[in-house]
Parts: sequence; C-alpha cells; structure tokens
Amino acid sequence: MFKTTPEVGGMGHSIKRKEDGRFLQGKGNYVDDVNLPGMVYGHMVRSPFAHARLKSVNTEKAKALPGVLAVITGEDLAKAGLAWMPTLSGDKQMVLATGKVLFQAQEVAFVVAEDRYIAADAAELVEVEYEELPVLVDPKKATDPGSPILREDREEKTNHIFHWEVGDRASTDKNFSTAPVTARVDALFQRCHPAPLETCGCVADFNKATGKLNIYLTSQAPHVHRTLFALVGGIPEQNIRVISPDIGGGFGNKVPIYPGYVCAVVASLTTGIPVKWIETRSENLMSTGFARDYHMTAELAAEKDGTMRALRVKTLADHGAFNATAQPTKFPAGLFSICTGNYVLQDAFCEVDGVYTNKAPGGVAYRCSFRVTEAAYLIERAVDVLAQELKMDPIELRRKNFIGKDQFPYQSKLGWSYDSGDYHANLDKALEFIDYKALRKEQEEKRKKGEFMGIGISTFVEIVGAGPSHTFDIAGIKMFDSAELRIHPTGKGILRMGTKSQGQGHETTYAQIVAQELGIPASDITVEEGDTDTAPYGLGTYASRSTPVSGAATAMAARKIREKARKIAAYLLEASEEDLEWEPGKFWVKGSPSKSKTIQEIAFAAYTNHPQGMEAGLEAVNYYDPPNLTFPFGTYIAVVDIDKGTGAVKIRKFVAVDDCGNIINPMIVEGQIHGGLTEGLAIAFMQLIDYDESGNVQGGTFMDYLLPTAVETPNWETGKTVTPSPHHPFGAKGIGESPNVGSPAAFVNAVVDALSHLGVKHIDMPMTPAKIWQVMKEKGVAG
Amino acid sequence: MAVKIEKTFQVQEPIEKVWAFLSDPRKVVVCVPGASITEQVDEKTYKGAISVKVGPSVSDFKGEIQIVRKDDAAHEIELLGKGQDTRGKGSASMRMTGTVRTLENGATEVVSVAEMNVVGILAQMGGRMIQEVSNIMFEKFSNSFRQQLQGGPVDPNAAKPISGLGLAFSAIKATFGGETKDDPSKEPGKS
Repeated sequence: MFKTTPEVGGMGHSIKRKEDGRFLQGKGNYVDDVNLPGMVYGHMVRSPFAHARLKSVNTEKAKALPGVLAVITGEDLAKAGLAWMPTLSGDKQMVLATGKVLFQAQEVAFVVAEDRYIAADAAELVEVEYEELPVLVDPKKATDPGSPILREDREEKTNHIFHWEVGDRASTDKNFSTAPVTARVDALFQRCHPAPLETCGCVADFNKATGKLNIYLTSQAPHVHRTLFALVGGIPEQNIRVISPDIGGGFGNKVPIYPGYVCAVVASLTTGIPVKWIETRSENLMSTGFARDYHMTAELAAEKDGTMRALRVKTLADHGAFNATAQPTKFPAGLFSICTGNYVLQDAFCEVDGVYTNKAPGGVAYRCSFRVTEAAYLIERAVDVLAQELKMDPIELRRKNFIGKDQFPYQSKLGWSYDSGDYHANLDKALEFIDYKALRKEQEEKRKKGEFMGIGISTFVEIVGAGPSHTFDIAGIKMFDSAELRIHPTGKGILRMGTKSQGQGHETTYAQIVAQELGIPASDITVEEGDTDTAPYGLGTYASRSTPVSGAATAMAARKIREKARKIAAYLLEASEEDLEWEPGKFWVKGSPSKSKTIQEIAFAAYTNHPQGMEAGLEAVNYYDPPNLTFPFGTYIAVVDIDKGTGAVKIRKFVAVDDCGNIINPMIVEGQIHGGLTEGLAIAFMQLIDYDESGNVQGGTFMDYLLPTAVETPNWETGKTVTPSPHHPFGAKGIGESPNVGSPAAFVNAVVDALSHLGVKHIDMPMTPAKIWQVMKEKGVAG
Repeated sequence: MAVKIEKTFQVQEPIEKVWAFLSDPRKVVVCVPGASITEQVDEKTYKGAISVKVGPSVSDFKGEIQIVRKDDAAHEIELLGKGQDTRGKGSASMRMTGTVRTLENGATEVVSVAEMNVVGILAQMGGRMIQEVSNIMFEKFSNSFRQQLQGGPVDPNAAKPISGLGLAFSAIKATFGGETKDDPSKEPGKS
C-alpha cells in the first residue's frame, strides 16, 4: 500500500478529527438544537405498572389546561390503524397502549402543548385507571403453566417467542458422552443499557401545503427509518425526509423506532405544526432498547491434555414485552453462533430460546455486532473454567487450542468462515506488556499472606460488517451500504454516505480513505451523512459495519473515479492509458516522470477540457455488498487486586492488543479502544437494569444505573498486530466494538482468578463490591 | 418494591388509653400525614385516601383499610391497606402490625411493623428513598400521636400532605447521612 504524506493524510495517519472543532466549541447541532417556528412539544404519559388491564384513560383535565393542543391515546391511534407498529424482529409493539400495559414506563398517552412544561404538567393530569395483573419478571418462569400469558394479541398463547439452533446436536452430544474432561459454566450476561449521553428524540415537521414531512431524528439508520415510516404510515417515500443531525452516542440504542417518534409524527401530520419530543434520562433507561439479558450455559468437552473437543451452549433470552431486538431477519439470536471463539473444535451445538416478560422491549446490540459480546464473554469464561478443571494455565490452554494462522479461511462448526487471523502472534504481543511468570509468583506469595490478586485473560474473535446481502437483511432490506463521491472542478470533493456517525469520526476516516485512493488531501473532502434527501441509500451505522462495508464502498467509488481520471490523464498527456503509472495524487508517463498530471488538474479538465465523447464531471457511486464478514480479534489482560475489607476491585494493569486489520487512523482507533474498554469496565462492575418482583425498574436513573467516570477508569495500555482482511478492498476489519466485546471476560476472569484457589468458579456481572465481599464472606476470607 | 419498616416509640400514658386510640383507625388516621378516612364500610373496613408528595411527584392513593386481626387482650392489631393512585401513577399496599405494652417505668411502648409494597413512580425512586420518606412520615406520625393522646392541639399540617420539596430534601439529606430536618414545612435554603 502506498504511504501518503501527512499533508494528504491517507491510511495510517493520525490526523485530528475534523468534527472535533465544532464539538469542542459546543457548536454541534443535535436534534434538541433544532427549533422551528411555531414548534410545539410532546410529553409521554407512561404506565407505572408492569402488567395491568387498562380500564380507562381520561384526558379531560389535561385537555382543559391552557396551552394544551391535544392528548393522543391508544384508542385514538387504533382508529387510524396505528396503535401497533412492527418491530425490527418481525413482532409488533404497541405505540400507545390499548387493552393492557406490559411493562413499567410503557407509553400510554401523548400530550402536545405549547411548551415543554405545560406538556409535562398536562401529562400529570391525564387520569388512567388500571387493574393490576400478575407480573412475570423471571424469564425462567415464562413457560411455566402457572405464569400469565402476556401477549393476548398473538395467536400463539405462550410466552415463548422462538427456538433457534445451529450445529450438530447428535454428534456434539456423542462427543461429550466419551469426553474424559468436561467443564460447565452458567453465566448471566445481565440486562444493561447503552445509555448514550444524548437521549432519543425527534422533531416531526409536516407541511400541509407541500405534503412534505421532515423528521429530525436521533437515528443510526436514517434511510431504513424513512422506508419504515413510508411502509407503515402510508406516506409516499419521496415526501419523507429523515435528517439525523449530530448524534450524541448511539451504541445500538438509536437503531429501533420508538413510540415517541411515531406520536410526534402523528401529531404533526394532524396539526401541520412541527412537534418536538425529547426523552428524559429516566425514560431512556426505562423504555428504550436495552442490551443483553442472556441466561447462558456453556459446556466444553476436552482431552486430559487440554485439547478441546466440543462446545455445547444453551441460552434463555429475555426479550421483554415485545420482541424488538435489532437483528438480521434470519438470525433471531444475532451472531451469537460465533461462540466457538478462536478455538479448533470437533463439534459444536448452540440453541437459544427467546421469551416474553413484563420488562421493556429491546435487545439491541450495545456496541456489539448482534450478540457477539454475549458469545465472546461466554466462551472466554468457559475456557477459564475448563482450565480450572484441568488445573492448567489458562494461557497455555488457549494457545494449545487456537486456530493456527495457516488454517484460514477457517470454517467454524457453527457455520462461519473466519477470514484471517494470527491468534498466537497477537497473544504473544500482549504478553510482552507483562511479566506473566512474575505476576503468578506474586499471586502465590500474596495468597499465603491472605491477599487477593488475579490475572484475567480474554482472547476473543469478533464477527462484524454485515452483509453479505444473500444472508443478511434487516426488515427485508438487504445489508449492503453505499458511498457517493463527487470531485469538484478545483479538485476538492464531497462524499455522501448511507451510514451515520454517532461519534465514531466518520468525517475524518472516510475522507482519509479517499485521500489514500486518490491522493486528494483528506482536508479537501467534505463527508456528509444523515440526510436521506441527499445521501445514497444505506443501512446505517451499527455492528461495526461502517468501515467494513461503507469504507469499502468509499474505496470502490474512489477507484471508479481513478479509472475515469486515467482516461482523462491519457488524453491530456497524449499517452495511452496502459503507459500511465499511478501514485496517490498523480498519473505519470512510464519512463518520463516529469510528464504527469495531478488529480487536481485532471478534475479541472473533467469540467473544462474533457475528451469529446466522454461524459463531463468526475463522480461515482458504489453500493458495496461484502463477500463475507470480517473477523477482528484481540488479547486483553487484566491484573486486579481485591480489597478483602470492602470487596472493591482495583485494576492494577490492563493491556489491550487488538487486530483490526489495516488501520485508517491510529489515533481514532485508540480512542475507540479506550471508550469501549471503559464501557466494558462499567458493564463488568457497575451496570444492571434490574426489576423487583412487581416489575418496578430498579435502574431507572443515574443514581442506580452507574456510568463510568475518570475516577473508576484505569490506565489503558494498548498495542496492535495487523492481519489484513483478505476480502476487504483495503484490508480493514472494524474496531469500534472489539474492546466492549472482549473486555468483560478479562475483568471477570481476573476477579475469579483471584479467588479461584478458594473454589470460586464464576461470579455474575456486575461485580459490585457488595457481591464480591459476599463471595469472600461465604469462603470465610472477607476482612 | 417491598420495604419493611419497624418502629418503636414511647408515650407517657396508660396502656388502655393508648390501646383505645391505636385500635381505632378513625383516630389513628388523623396522625398520618396526608391521610383521611372517607367512609366506614363495615365494622372492620374503611375507605380512605392518602396523599404523598415526593419532589415534583404527588401520589393520591385511594383505597381500603381493613382490620385483619384485633386482639384486645394481647393489645395487638393488624391492618391491611391497599390503594391505587387516582391518576394512575402507581399503587401501594401495607400490612401493619401494632402492639402496645407497659414498660417498667410506667410508660407505654408502641411497636409498629409495617411491610409496604409500592409499585410505580414512587418505587422507581428506589428503596433508600422509600425508606427515608417513611422514616420522616413516621416521625410526624409519632409526634402527632403523642400530642393527640395528651389532648394537645392537633398539628394543623397533619392532615395535609407534607411539603413535597421539604420531604424530598430531607430524605435526600438522610440518605446521604446528613441531618434530618424535623420541620418539613421549611423549604430548602430557608433553614
């Protein structure tokens, strides 16, 4: 690959983020910054009960409050056929409740008023009469005969949503029956929440004169949302314009369509007035897309020498009141079948059952490619339990069973073709950061003194960048993505994308791809996303798919432009195309380097002096359909000390060595790793959306649902190996999610390792001080 | 959200006088901040209401109080109360046992054990808030109870919901180990 100059800023340059200028100066433009003339405000009335019959909704007092324009109820929407909407998983969800409510904070009525305060006050005046019903909180009781059937609207009178399995059950069972050693772990990946700093919201602006509906939306997938609004609402798609302005973090939370959006659109369509609806923090935590909630069991079968033979996984997935998980259609448990990890196995079998409970709907991929986090956590926990069973070093056990670098592309027993990898080299690189033998010796000495330290390792593989379109679609729309590159006469350009950055730095990294492919400085390329009237159609940004899919589309569009530029250069230089050599930024004639044309000169000629018979202009569009997914991987090591008096865990050292293939911007990659590790830390130690036995949310505020701050965050030490993806145009794999996918297992493995000599095999997250202290107390070692 | 609250306090009055008061819901309710009895359904059942204001959120519970058990010999009474917020913001139920006994110093001790279950907006505030709000309400209750027994003037604020901001503020202070203000009519910043 050519190395461009820092001024051009192609691949591998840590150029500063173009978007940071406005973000650091408070000049970002978020949905709540959109203020339109005459705009009014919506506020949601929500259910206090997790399960109750809706007996009446009285809106008279609320409507009588001066400044209130309308109060919309489920019955009102039902008249328009809009009381229910489809979810991304083929289920349906109530927009506003009719008949009964199924989770606490469910949407019951929508108040529209002249200002936010009046709307909130009026919401207090809406009188709702409920009859409480028995509540189902525990997913393990969902299919018990005595449990209430939650979804009366469905033909199937059961709380069971789906059973999904992959792999060979019979041969896996047979393998287990003859295995000399087996290990088992029951692990809950707890319900947590992406909790983006900006909550969800929208401004719906319907113009009765033009028939045009503009929706400013916190959307990670603006085009898909436009199509869904068209299909569900019956509005002609050309009349809908979805604009996602700056987005303050998404992490999967802004993939679904929420009832608040629909209500704001309905209110604006009815009144012809712009309607703004912005969630409160608690509304975001209690009602929008949660993540995980997987009750998992993994079993590993092995030889006595540690050679792994088979993996068997059984999982119960709590989907809440509606199956609103964001997954590709054919994969009800997402890409969970990557749970075979980095290991060579003879057999594998995985089954997942999804159930309804009286909890908020969701199941979004929180910084994760569709349940990859659950899978990586499970296998990396199971391997440690197997090491404990075998009394074998966890690093040696991993090394022994890794897929070798010459075995790629590797066909996994659960159906994936891993593109490339070098797990041994990556592990070795991570071990360079620590003195493993010395740490083990220190641990032994500390144990004699009654002190507790642990070393946790996680060697994970991810699966990201969906499509390919023959296998992947969301709500029927194939998972390709797009880029449209237009070079202006002066050699500058604009790149428009089907994706949508929520903080990932797309305005910088996509421009660097163009810089690499065409030699036009990254600073000369404007990157635009999020406006469905101008951007080419795309599936959006989630599941680490922007670089693998849209980054590839950008390179392919730039290469189309380069081919046209070659023709123009040949014309200008009076040479044949075959005689031209390329380096980023110019074509020159073989043997006479002084005879050259820069890309800027060629761009000018494309509008002023192009060959007769050729179309003028210099632009290209590419819709990229990846031939396979990409498989980033890494090794994370955590060294922890546990205070026996309080159960508090101190992270003494954390090493993250990632391999995301070829890197576009090392600084942005490092920033992504820091952010992902910090979120992984929070999940491992702090975060849980809990429910009491009546279905009350116990994590509905930042008092209870904790966000990590600089105080909790240790120093992250990062390193890399580079194993390019063989099928990606420039060998990239994607990075945003790896640190969140790989780190929880490293933290839990470290804490369990610290206590393993006492017989501790597993501790569920979040590993709060109270929980660890309790474990130590049971073992008689708490201070 | 289930919360168990156990409280003990003493009154300088003879046991029979205290018992006669405690075993009559119509009398007791006067001492509960924000509570009233609206109707007696039968000998053991009453209809009533209670208004609780925490921060910006007012919950007006309407429901029934039932005397489940009343043992005049043992001086023990068990009450079951259930109510739903009139604007649909939640529900609460409480099973309360009250016992009185004579102490060696001649005073009468009242022991009350209440198991409350709260659903809805109040419950989302978490156990620590409910516990502290209950503590403050109980403090008000026992003060009124003493005053009533001694024939003193009824606290004019007793029947009103205690000041919302004051209550939330006191509860927050108590939660974080600060001093609990006894006078909830004072607004924060004015103390």
